[in-house]
Amino acid sequence: MNEAAMNKDLTCEQLHEIGAELALGVLSGRERAEAAVHLDRCAECREYIEQLALVGDGLLSLLPGSEPPAGFESRVARRLTQVQAARDGRENARGAALRPTRVRRGVRLRVASAAAVIALGFGFGGWAVGTAIENLAAGPAPPVQTAAGMLRANLTAGGTDHRQPVGEIYAHSGPRGWVFMSVDLADAGIRYSGKVICTLERTDGTTVRLGTFSLRGGYAYWGAPTSVNPSTLSGARLTATDGHVLATAHFTGR
Amino acid sequence: MVFRNRRAIPWPGRTVPKGMQKLQLPVGRIPDEALLAGLATGDPELAVTFVRRFQHTVLGVALAVTRDPQLAEDIAQQTFERAWRHAQVYDSRRGSVTTWLTTIAHNLAIDAVRSRRPEPVAPEDLDALLGAVTDTPEDRALADEASAALRAAVAQLPGEQARALVMAGIYGMTAQQIADREHIPLGTAKTRIRTAMGKLRTTLTSPNPAPPHPTHSEATNPADSHPAPPKRGGHE
Repeated sequence: MNEAAMNKDLTCEQLHEIGAELALGVLSGRERAEAAVHLDRCAECREYIEQLALVGDGLLSLLPGSEPPAGFESRVARRLTQVQAARDGRENARGAALRPTRVRRGVRLRVASAAAVIALGFGFGGWAVGTAIENLAAGPAPPVQTAAGMLRANLTAGGTDHRQPVGEIYAHSGPRGWVFMSVDLADAGIRYSGKVICTLERTDGTTVRLGTFSLRGGYAYWGAPTSVNPSTLSGARLTATDGHVLATAHFTGR
Repeated sequence: MVFRNRRAIPWPGRTVPKGMQKLQLPVGRIPDEALLAGLATGDPELAVTFVRRFQHTVLGVALAVTRDPQLAEDIAQQTFERAWRHAQVYDSRRGSVTTWLTTIAHNLAIDAVRSRRPEPVAPEDLDALLGAVTDTPEDRALADEASAALRAAVAQLPGEQARALVMAGIYGMTAQQIADREHIPLGTAKTRIRTAMGKLRTTLTSPNPAPPHPTHSEATNPADSHPAPPKRGGHE
């Protein structure tokens, strides 16, 4: 993965060439990221991909249903209520003082760009591509949201002398922003599998933990909603659970 | 008040918060979106209703991709758990609850298959699935117009395009995997996916969709390799 390739900006024609695969969620993370950059600035291509995503959704709707095994619904429902009870227990243990914060966070998530959350945050791949791209642009987000700039930086492998590029990270600015990255540590010979902690770094030296995700064989794409201030966001760091730095990124050229 | 056996019986109703409104409906009649939102209350009755309403569809998707009933059941359960955990991010502007659940189940199933098998699909399974998405039995005759048009459009795709479409769109196979599987160049696999999707898109976006004409090979109809999308205002 060289610098020129990572900075590749697709034309509309190129986007149309890969649009079907993008909408079906079968493109690589890097190609998806390249497409996302183009779609962020091209409303007509967004509409095109949105239509293809609907085709993908429609295709799944043609699949025949299946009769559930006996007792399935009660087993699942029981499991849901058990999980709920466990979560309620944890929340009670944290004390009532935290609840207002949790509520506010919930509200923020609800009004945040839901597609970005669904698509980028929880690994819903196909929906991710199809409907996330739709959401990159669409929806009732005010113009300032789509007009706001997107920061981009290379992820480079930590602990190597060559600062080998191992992926890209994008940060969409604004209070309803999001961060998305595609990581392929195998490019630097690192085939790490396991949990990764993503930490955002600010220009004043403070950090904020964005979240965790899993790498498989060094590869993953992931993202999460977060408030992004382009004037203070300086970089990002991916670390293994033992604290080993796997990759870093530095945002420049704001 | 609800009616059972034509007799009204007292029923306190159930309050399901949804934004600033409150709904008073028997749980079986609660709209999908409200039911999803209501899951957060932890009410067992709502949970059962939610699962009952969508289990047939979710299991169908999981089984189609995995072809393993036990694995499909596990995936369906994971789908409901995931939907429940992330219900707050569901956005009805982007699609129905059914579509959302279907997408979650689909991606979980693809991930499960990828981690278990080097070959995502056996030839006989592919043929069977193609038959399943294109047939029109009685119980699907009442499907909405768009679904019927889409089903007809898939049925009229040339075989190689339909296979590529199903391999990518349902089994989550990349163009390279399809090329390897079909013993064709990567570019041909990409063309088949793109051409098939282009035809289906035309079907869905056309105000008066005409049945697509079947073609038998991308080589015999080069125009199919580059379907012309509707005019896009000189965009390109």
